Amino acid sequence: MDTTINPRPVSAGVEPHLHGDLAIWFFIIAELLAFGVFFVAYAVTRAFNVEAFNAAQAGLNLNLGALNTVLLISGSWCVVRSVQAARADLQVQAVRWMAVALACGVGFLIVKVIEYRAKFAAGLTMDTDTFHMFYFSLTFFHFMHVVLGVCVLTILLFKLRRGAYGSHDVHGLETGAAYWHMVDLAWIVLFPLVYVMR
Amino acid sequence: MSSTFTTSAARNIFYGGAVFSFLLLLALTFRTEQVLPQRDQRAQLDNPQVVAGKRIWENNNCIGCHTLLGEGAYFAPELGNVYKRRGPDFIKAWIKGQPTGAPGRRQMPQFNLTEQELDDMVAFLKYASEINTAKWPPNIEG
Amino acid sequence: MKYKSQAVAKPYFIAAMGLFVAQILFGLIMGLQYVIGDFLFPHIPFNVARMVHTNALIVWLLMGFMGSAYYLVPEEAETELHSPKLALILFWIFLVAAALTVIGYLAVPYATLAKITGNDLLPTMGREFLEQPTITKIGIVIVALGFLYNLSMTFLKGRKTAIASVLMLGLWGLAIFFLFSFYNPHNLVKDKFYWWWVVHLWVEGVWELILGAILAFVLIKVTGVDREVIEKWLYVIITLALVSGMVGTGHHYFWIGAPEFWQWWGSIFSALEPVPFFAMTLFAFNMVNRRRREHPNRAATLWALGTGVMAFLGAGVWGFLHTLAPVNFYTHGSQITAAHGHMAFYGAYVMVVLTMISYAMPLMRGRAANSNKAQVVEMWAFWLMTVSMVFITLFLTAAGILQVWLQRVSDTPLSFMATQDQISLFYWMREAAGLVFLIGVVTYLVSFFIKGEERAA
Repeated sequence: MDTTINPRPVSAGVEPHLHGDLAIWFFIIAELLAFGVFFVAYAVTRAFNVEAFNAAQAGLNLNLGALNTVLLISGSWCVVRSVQAARADLQVQAVRWMAVALACGVGFLIVKVIEYRAKFAAGLTMDTDTFHMFYFSLTFFHFMHVVLGVCVLTILLFKLRRGAYGSHDVHGLETGAAYWHMVDLAWIVLFPLVYVMR
Repeated sequence: MSSTFTTSAARNIFYGGAVFSFLLLLALTFRTEQVLPQRDQRAQLDNPQVVAGKRIWENNNCIGCHTLLGEGAYFAPELGNVYKRRGPDFIKAWIKGQPTGAPGRRQMPQFNLTEQELDDMVAFLKYASEINTAKWPPNIEG
Repeated sequence: MKYKSQAVAKPYFIAAMGLFVAQILFGLIMGLQYVIGDFLFPHIPFNVARMVHTNALIVWLLMGFMGSAYYLVPEEAETELHSPKLALILFWIFLVAAALTVIGYLAVPYATLAKITGNDLLPTMGREFLEQPTITKIGIVIVALGFLYNLSMTFLKGRKTAIASVLMLGLWGLAIFFLFSFYNPHNLVKDKFYWWWVVHLWVEGVWELILGAILAFVLIKVTGVDREVIEKWLYVIITLALVSGMVGTGHHYFWIGAPEFWQWWGSIFSALEPVPFFAMTLFAFNMVNRRRREHPNRAATLWALGTGVMAFLGAGVWGFLHTLAPVNFYTHGSQITAAHGHMAFYGAYVMVVLTMISYAMPLMRGRAANSNKAQVVEMWAFWLMTVSMVFITLFLTAAGILQVWLQRVSDTPLSFMATQDQISLFYWMREAAGLVFLIGVVTYLVSFFIKGEERAA
């Protein structure tokens, strides 16, 4: 709980600096804890039912999952570029990068909905079997995070356009960016764990 | 390591997190409502005796001593599966025979239920015993 | 006390303490009925004693929350209460309604009470903790609306601090989720499912906002730590509470007919519920360690620290003990649940109300703090109640473990009543600890009447 409170502009000192607000880092830790426990539960359950899980897993659409991975990693990259641009007071670039990041996020949601529709059309639900319970729970929990992340990015985009961020202040921007990276990170664990690992 | 920690960020995260969590609960509730018809024996509610039995259950505060599907007071036996444990005749005779008056033993009041009401009660307990409770309780003793 | 109108909190606190005594007395009756089954039968059957025990608790905690809010909001908003008169009228309505309801429980059989209060018109009675007649429930809603109107007007016209905002949000949530008590479908599964939207979303949801706000308020006052520091921690803690607690509702949906995905969702999210309570403990101790002044009311500080620790133990640790579905399969509806319930309610909600009373009562009586002598007695009361509650919890836990073993795990399971006979020793010990708790309550009340040198406010 011992945190030094700095003035809001980013300190340029040599001291290591945690970007984004400390509050978002508590939130991120809590979120990763929830995801982490869910992942461990999945892994342990799978270890006891490897064959059933492998059989059910074969029905997943790896291509759509991979496409979504690309979209999220690209989105994270764009957010990084946007923050860098904002720090350098390049407002136009910052807005553009953020808009592309937002598009990646929305793209993820669209791809996910397509994937879900195919699953529902095949009559698969959370209650089909244990694998699908995990598949739908984990991906939907993550889906909700992307929805929230898209809302955050939208707010950041509007604030960037209003010129709220620049070399004088990127605190809020970095805070939102940190959350988006967490959403990305969770997917980077989720995708191999649920889609790829056999 | 230094960091910035502001009230406004903490507040925004709180509101965002609260709305997010509530929406998640609503989504899971929506899914629950979709699945319930396969588990909750709702067809039995067309039987007016089951509905009447639930009202008798409530109006006599049975939950004040017993548990029903594990919820309630822990003073007297679980009744979610009593229909399977004891059967209809025993249940009716038991309710009629109360209180036992055995000294020092826990006592159940006499509720003066009519024969009709006793049958309603049994219908309700039968309904409760057929709800899909994911194999709870662990054994017939409840 | 900065604003005259804050004094309306006083009758609320006094009534709360009166109901507290009633709650404990009926708890002792029940405890004795656990071992001497026909004690007071048929005059006070167990179910009646239990209704009085639990409903008195709920009502006195609500009284405590209301009193706390009437004290806290004007001070935070830096303005007089919108209408002190309305607050007093609502107090009497609430008290009379509560008294009539308790008289109803004790005077006539419950079925008769249901009949004369017209339960058939809108049946809401006969469900655990929501046993109040429908008209009482409507009365509660009316009182709550008047209360919220009064405080919201006060809040809106004054300074909007984080603490007051969080408290108001918690109180509105409390009123809104109470509305689910009017939904009583014939379908038993749906009945139980939404019943938890009152019970769980109260105690593991919006009440935690109220708890956090009251605790933060008292900590600012007794430690002198910057408001900014306390408020941002408050937000972090209640964020954790809602993120874990909302979906954590699922830990009640394992065995009542709800779909089985709840076993995973409920286990995982409720397993995180101890985190905010642990954070709250760290928070309270940190703020006290960083204090910038020595507040003369040391008893209030003790209560505040105690709230953190006991809420973590009772709600956090004892909750976690049986929250995972594979464990809960065996412990569901056993004395383990009772053990958790006792310590969680005491540690989180009883103690936070007593914290507020301990802080605000001397100020309303015109002094910064009670005399040293009175405070020493109050601290004795703190330890008597807290230690005896720890023992009540331990004895019930032991009873619960044995019960689960004999009745549910063993190859030759005993019946419910045969099991109860086997574990009666623990019920006797629980009753003895309960008596010590009563001594603690009496000591607590005595501390209000002890004179001695006091410091002016």
